[in-house]
Amino acid sequence: MGRVRWTSSTPSRPGASGNLTVAALLPTYQMVSLDLVIESLLNGLLLGGIYAVAALGLSLVFGIMDVVNLAHGHMLMVGAYVAILFFMATGITPLIGMILAAVILFGFGMVLHVVILDNVVGEGIEQPIIVLFGLALVLQSVGRILLGSEAQAAELGIPGSAISIGSATLSFPRVVTFVVALVLILGTWAFLRYTTTGLAIRATAQNNAAAQYMGINTDNIFALTLGIGTALAGAAGALLSMLFPITPFVGWSYLLKAFAVVVLGGVGSIAGTLVGGLVLGVSENVGVLYLGGGFRDIISFSIFLIVLLIRPHGLFGKSGGGE
Amino acid sequence: MSALGSIGSRLREPRTRRVLTVLAVLWLVTIPFTTTAYITEVFFTGLVFVMLGVSWNLVAGYAGQISLGHAAFFGFGAFVSAWLTSPGRAGLPESIQMPVVVAIAGGALAAAILALVVGPVMFRLTGHYFAIGTLALASIIQLILLDQRQFSGGSTGYYVQQSFGDDLMFLLALATTVGMYLVYRRIVASPSGLGMRAIHDDEGAASSLGVYPLKFKMYAFVVSSAMAGIAGGFWAQYTLFISADSTLSVVWMVDTLVIVVLGGMGSLLGPVYGAWLFLGLDTVLQRVGGEFATTVEGTLIIAFVLLAPKGVNGILRTWFDDDESGTAADHN
Repeated sequence: MGRVRWTSSTPSRPGASGNLTVAALLPTYQMVSLDLVIESLLNGLLLGGIYAVAALGLSLVFGIMDVVNLAHGHMLMVGAYVAILFFMATGITPLIGMILAAVILFGFGMVLHVVILDNVVGEGIEQPIIVLFGLALVLQSVGRILLGSEAQAAELGIPGSAISIGSATLSFPRVVTFVVALVLILGTWAFLRYTTTGLAIRATAQNNAAAQYMGINTDNIFALTLGIGTALAGAAGALLSMLFPITPFVGWSYLLKAFAVVVLGGVGSIAGTLVGGLVLGVSENVGVLYLGGGFRDIISFSIFLIVLLIRPHGLFGKSGGGE
Repeated sequence: MSALGSIGSRLREPRTRRVLTVLAVLWLVTIPFTTTAYITEVFFTGLVFVMLGVSWNLVAGYAGQISLGHAAFFGFGAFVSAWLTSPGRAGLPESIQMPVVVAIAGGALAAAILALVVGPVMFRLTGHYFAIGTLALASIIQLILLDQRQFSGGSTGYYVQQSFGDDLMFLLALATTVGMYLVYRRIVASPSGLGMRAIHDDEGAASSLGVYPLKFKMYAFVVSSAMAGIAGGFWAQYTLFISADSTLSVVWMVDTLVIVVLGGMGSLLGPVYGAWLFLGLDTVLQRVGGEFATTVEGTLIIAFVLLAPKGVNGILRTWFDDDESGTAADHN
């Protein structure tokens, strides 16, 4: 029997084992109290912030380079493992490990562009899709060889108790990661808005040829964009490692979630991405409350497909870009 | 180059090719009777690979629609055929029990109907959106089947019972593969195949010349999905065990992609070469170091797209063709 390898390589469901507070209440299918709904709504908002970070990287690369990074979810997985291993080795909080993960993946993204993507971008959509699919595969299997298939997670490593708002309690790690996520998104926005390099990136996105006439080296801009995109994936992975167990197989699932957020928010729109992330986080968490933990991914993928079909350019997106 | 060229010119004669093909098929017929059960199973897997490669090449290589949801149709065909030969396990009435051949046809029909239903919806998307949309669709189908333990056996899987022996199944699969290839070749050569290639090259231009894109996309998608359903049906009825975890897994999509990219996307014989090459590679890698198999496959995908985008088929052509494309490629 040659073909039973990787039975666990299906897009795994991080929610099935994580998020125990909500999932534990579910098998009884009892009436869901309003307090519980509010609580999971708020927790969903907090989770949505991280989804927005993950999606922002994908959205930038898609909007500027016109390439969907199919390995984005797997890069997120790599970032999560960097933070987890750093935490296990030194005991230092993954919030610091996040910086390490972002730096490593920034370099990885730049190298990836120079070595591989530069040769296939602009040659139709098939080649980048297939190459990045292959890269996702390599990352996943290397991850499995090096780290095994067991789920691993990091702890926040900062003492702090749950925060109560009225009758709802918010877990402390979620609040912290949400704040960090907001800082990352604001930072990316400020970088694009107020720095000269950011201006060059936006100019390249608007009109590649015109940007070149203005003396912008668009090759460098593409490499930088991919670096920033993958760094954001790494940071999001580090944040997620504090909330959910990570396995080498979570890549596909997070790729689809991040892309769902991109579609919700519109390609290249930072505010839209943030709103999209929050919408996805909330609908996932509240949906799980009613349908059960096994439905977490079904919910987000379905939302994604429905939005994609009704508004192919996203809820808040303008038409054009990334077709 | 000239020696290879003269072999090439002989190889390009239709009669030589036909004789070689018939010999290869005849040799495959003897496999179950002359080798061990293990080797027969390896070659059976090869036949399934050919079916998968050929079917995906039709929709992706010719019609240019990079569907990443092929595994869903393969798995759906497998499950429907399993329900039809062994309905008892899914709690279905025994009265719907069918012979193997009918069950596999039923699986193909079910996959085609699924494609017919989701196709018009998915084809509202283009390019990257279509690729990711089909990936999401396949995930949804897999998650739903995984959740419906009664019908799929959940993560424990589903055991299939049928009365045909392994040898008979192998011969049946061989005949089906040959038939499927002939149908595929016919479609590619037909006006519809031309329409598919036209929308692949330039959808806007094609539709302005009166080629209705949706029609040809749907044609390719439905036929391709039915073929994937047949492959799935054979897989279920030969291995006698399927599960939503492994049979609908993205692994099948990966294998299909490797086969087609290795062989040469959008070339007639590409997926056939790719399937046997991949089979050899996969079998050897499983023995030598199973865990590295996927890493090697992923690396091969990247390497082929970068270095040999026309695949093995393209390489063979430059080697064996004496004048036309061989020297033309050298000049470039």
